[in-house]
Amino acid sequence: MSEISLYDFELDENCYKVRLFLSVLGLSYRKVPVNMVPGREHLAPALMALNPRGSLPILTNSDFVLSEAEAIMTYLARAHDNGNAWLPAEPKARGLVAMWLQFASRDLHAAFLARRLAMFDEPGDEVALGFAARSAFRLMEDHMTAREFDRAAWFVGDNPSLADLALFPAIALSRDFGVEHEAYPALRRWMRRVRTTPGFVTMPGIPDYY
Amino acid sequence: METGWYPVALAEGLERGTSTGARLFGRELVVWRDSAGASHVWEDRCPHRGMRLSFGFVRDNHIVCLYHGWQYDTAAQCRYIPAHPDLAVPSTIRVATYPSIERLGIVWAYNELDSGAPQDIGFAERAPVTPVRSLYVDASAAKVFDALVLAECPSLKNAGGATQRSRTDALVSLKRGGDEILVAVQPLSDVEAALHIVIAGPPDVHSGDSQKRVSAWGEALRREIEGAARPTGEVHHGVAP
Repeated sequence: MSEISLYDFELDENCYKVRLFLSVLGLSYRKVPVNMVPGREHLAPALMALNPRGSLPILTNSDFVLSEAEAIMTYLARAHDNGNAWLPAEPKARGLVAMWLQFASRDLHAAFLARRLAMFDEPGDEVALGFAARSAFRLMEDHMTAREFDRAAWFVGDNPSLADLALFPAIALSRDFGVEHEAYPALRRWMRRVRTTPGFVTMPGIPDYY
Repeated sequence: METGWYPVALAEGLERGTSTGARLFGRELVVWRDSAGASHVWEDRCPHRGMRLSFGFVRDNHIVCLYHGWQYDTAAQCRYIPAHPDLAVPSTIRVATYPSIERLGIVWAYNELDSGAPQDIGFAERAPVTPVRSLYVDASAAKVFDALVLAECPSLKNAGGATQRSRTDALVSLKRGGDEILVAVQPLSDVEAALHIVIAGPPDVHSGDSQKRVSAWGEALRREIEGAARPTGEVHHGVAP
């Protein structure tokens, strides 16, 4: 029996996306802690051999190696979620989930960089990153506001999907880089729903109590 | 900053057992709804260590500070200190509060801490409204009012004729034919404001399509208000003379 290994840094939001989905799926896995900050182990030769991009998370399963959180989540959904609950098979829903996964990795990258700047003193333009992050959160807020008019609770379809799990960390952690949740009432209600997902776990910066 | 009633949230959007941070003229407030359904607006500060109570959580009819678990009842009185479970908590430990009330589907706060005699808010208690949304804008409340007093009422069910506009200190009414929307403006800081938008009329008439139309109207208004005032986001191609 093969074993899933996750190269993981506890404070990294992209690693958290994968930990969250592994927990929701109820899969057991081996966690390989990587000292990203301050150790910069993700850039050391052993990990660069696994993932030349020098990013976390990295998932391995026997000889198979995969990086990028959204790609790993897609792989895990296809491999372990037989009911297609998290990655819907219906074409339109599938396309919409793919769009929001792209949004999570591209539009929300500014939020990721803003948080790394605030927490780990990584380089970056604080004003520009903060503005780009708030612009992305605003798009999410407008989307969930419109969804509520249709009495819908999730980003896509009638049930939670990978879109919800991939979009959750950046906004849930936004206080780490000084963006309060004041301006996002629809996202606040949605975040409370995400927290009720069976198997939901938190990470440092996301309170257990809410 | 004028003393008076200001909107801080849409009533329906504030679920039972939840709290949120809010601002009025840069001052931090916690807005929360207890498990019995009553809403409260307090200073967003735990008297113990100054932690923001909006970071905490609501359990039953107490709001709990995330820092050390001090619990406050609906009268803002501290009732329980986990580190001293047997202590009868002194009555001097309480959070400063703002008078608050729900009218027109909106939670309003009177911006004078521990005010004993706020002026009457003046809105009817039971006017039926359909909540739309809260919109947060990178512009001062003055700029928001400048745009609102020129705005057209979006057409809903009974459009016709010209838009009639009226304004009180914190509320603008846009009326056209039988349609009316109300926009309450919350001054967050010198450069940010929130618009709390409702449709005058009951939800069984206005839920769904009218809400979407007014929400889209609000997004267009936000674009107009922010206009070129936003700091970045547009690429300017300089052309050498």
